[in-house]
Amino acid sequence: MSVNSSHSELAKTEQIITEFFAKSLHIILESRSPVVSSRNYNTERLYSPSPSMRPRDKWFNLALRDCPAALENIDFWRQSNLEPMVVDVVLVQRPVNWDSTRSSPKVGLERNLSSKDYRFPGIWKSDCDEFGCDGSHGTSEKIIERWIVQYDNKKGCKDGFPGNYKRLNSTSSHALYKKSILLLRSLYVTVRLLPAYKVFREVNSSGQIRSFSLIHRVSSSVEPFTRKDEAEMQQFMFTPVDTSSGKLCVSLLYLPSISDTASESSTPMSPQFIPDYVGSPLADPLKRLPSLSMPQYSPSSSPFARRHSWSYDANRVSASPPSALPSPSPTYSESRTLQAKYGSHRPPVSSRYTSLEPAQGHVKDIGYDEYLPSPNFSPSPSPSPPVGSNMLKVLLRSDSAPVYIPASRLGDAPLSSNKMVLPFSPPLKGIRPSLSLVERSSSITTTAGKLSLREEEIARMSGVKISSNNSLHKSSSRSFSRLSFEDSYDDSDFSGPFVLDDDGIMDPGSRPGSSDRSGNPGTPHERIKSQDAAVGALVQMLKKAPPLQQDLNQSQNVCKTSRPEYSCNQIQVHDHHPHPHPHPPVGSSTMSSSRVSGIKTTSDALEELKVYMDVKMMLLRPSGKP
Amino acid sequence: MNCEVCQLKELDVEYFEIREVLRCILHTIFFHRALGLVRPKDVDLTLFEITYVQCGDAELEKKVDEKIDQFIDRVEKHPNKKNQICLSFFEVKNKQATWFTHKVEHLYWEQWYINLNVAHHPKPHSGKSHHSKLVLDPGESASDERNARRATLESSLHEVLFQIIKFVNEKKDHIPPIPNKEGVSFPYEITISSSSDSAFGMDMFKRMLQTGHPTMLS
Repeated sequence: MSVNSSHSELAKTEQIITEFFAKSLHIILESRSPVVSSRNYNTERLYSPSPSMRPRDKWFNLALRDCPAALENIDFWRQSNLEPMVVDVVLVQRPVNWDSTRSSPKVGLERNLSSKDYRFPGIWKSDCDEFGCDGSHGTSEKIIERWIVQYDNKKGCKDGFPGNYKRLNSTSSHALYKKSILLLRSLYVTVRLLPAYKVFREVNSSGQIRSFSLIHRVSSSVEPFTRKDEAEMQQFMFTPVDTSSGKLCVSLLYLPSISDTASESSTPMSPQFIPDYVGSPLADPLKRLPSLSMPQYSPSSSPFARRHSWSYDANRVSASPPSALPSPSPTYSESRTLQAKYGSHRPPVSSRYTSLEPAQGHVKDIGYDEYLPSPNFSPSPSPSPPVGSNMLKVLLRSDSAPVYIPASRLGDAPLSSNKMVLPFSPPLKGIRPSLSLVERSSSITTTAGKLSLREEEIARMSGVKISSNNSLHKSSSRSFSRLSFEDSYDDSDFSGPFVLDDDGIMDPGSRPGSSDRSGNPGTPHERIKSQDAAVGALVQMLKKAPPLQQDLNQSQNVCKTSRPEYSCNQIQVHDHHPHPHPHPPVGSSTMSSSRVSGIKTTSDALEELKVYMDVKMMLLRPSGKP
Repeated sequence: MNCEVCQLKELDVEYFEIREVLRCILHTIFFHRALGLVRPKDVDLTLFEITYVQCGDAELEKKVDEKIDQFIDRVEKHPNKKNQICLSFFEVKNKQATWFTHKVEHLYWEQWYINLNVAHHPKPHSGKSHHSKLVLDPGESASDERNARRATLESSLHEVLFQIIKFVNEKKDHIPPIPNKEGVSFPYEITISSSSDSAFGMDMFKRMLQTGHPTMLS
């Protein structure tokens, strides 16, 4: 059994050694054999895991990236572990005037053939012929690294004595495997710290035309260096790993300074036109959008143009991907052409400061009508086209903030119901308080109407003649309408970009370009305050006011027509003598009216006193005198 | 079991170089001690022309960054002092529980001491920003001096990495059996100390006593 176990141990050891050769070659060539197809060699290369872990990847717990060059050579060393594996990394340099069209680095695999070492059938043609590795075309080669991996088998272990089995156990395959893992870890780190790695990275980097390249040679024999070359090389040896029958050794001869040579011979990159540089609109138009700051509350911005810029974009970016956003800058230049195309109905973004005049006038006429409806009016984001367009114009006027407009919405009609919710949501917020003010304005107008009527009362009481009620109503209605305009459009929520609109409304003849915030006569707040004060005063008066003058007028009219009877009746009430008094008829009417109205003036009182005096005199006169 | 101690060469670094230098050194050590199945991840330093290797463990990367942050904070609190990071690998041994103690013992089998001498204060009032790499110094001599210092540090960092490789190659027998797990195979701890601490040297001495073996310097 112990013999069997020893045989199994030997087999395991052999297998470990064989895989060690393969793994070390893989590690070396992975960082020395340029990848022809790679274009982008990122500074932080991530291991791209293979979809399935191959058995070879699990050896020594080190899963490496694929390396075709290593795979081509691995099979050789499976056959004999006793022969060393020599890997030469060669720097091939070509003259500066080398044809750049043939500069793609090739993986040069050339077997170092010798009569002794011709063990493997077949000859691999060197792929570096195109690069002129064979010395032609003025190329030069220089070995910058020589890796030697060998298994130094001790002859003493081959005796097979039982004592050797104990030695085998002391250096079991398990220990060998663990130490091999550590050695290969060091090898993996070391290959990236050597000067040749920089050359490898430079060769692998894309977009550069270089006059040098890296090739490698894998052989089983060591081609001695010249004295001069050997003097330049430095040696680095990894600590050998003891096995039951020998030692695993990895050593290195390398040139400590090759980066200068490689950097000097590199050809400057020819100027290239980069169409998709970072920041270009072609690369990523989306990136431009955050850097742009659309003006907020600028007196000349208007959702009018913004809306039409959406519709413009809908026509312009019909073929663009849904996620692409049109940047305002292109629309600026193109909007001018669009203006010519669509006329004044669709003012472009760039000319939004100047082309709103006709639209404003239109809104002025319609907006008033739109705001007159019932207080139950709610701004619908999905208006019907004929009314909605006007309503939208009015609604949008309160929006002065930039709105994110996804392109997916651009392809739709601007008046589509569902897709206008988002763009119009900001305006809605601005509109709601203004709508309440609209409602308030209507209440103010009614109170103003009442105020006008009360003014009429006061005028009458003070003896001021009023021409007619109709004219009064007309004037009141006029003031009503004026107040409605002012209240609806001079609201502070509509201020800012809509001061322009107010000017337009107030004075259609003025140019909207002359926007001026302070141009409005008085501020909406002040008007509201004065109106509130007037309302308060009116309320006070109403509290103290007598019944309506209409009743008074009616009563007056009635009294005029039926004065004699009334007066007689009055006299009859107060005097049983049906003698009409010259004064009482006049005074009685007034007295009766004053009695009916309840208002008593001094003159009335004096007249009443006279009446009493007369009555008294009449009563005091002898009643029987003829 | 021996506790192998490796005192790495002291490096003179500036504040803004601490992170990269420590990442490079710590991950190189961890790569040699993550003996389970790993998928190596090559990382290029931005300040130096050096490519180091990580073992591809995201959790480890996160812990290393946290420790580096702590180190940087300590450097800010103890400026112009020699600071040290100690990476220790240990085995967990449960002491025999007595009726009043139940202690878990750490048997350290390897310790790495990373010595950094932070040259400049991190705060701006020192006159030099920690982003001095990007600052265009009007004086040509200052830039040359900076380049020379940078080249020296790069060479020193190179030496430290090869020091690690050499140590790993030479010392293999003290490593415990490799557990069957991915990532870092052995429990570890990272401690930070500075020369201003009274226990700067005492920490080392305490661990030496805990291991019960004299230090064996390579």
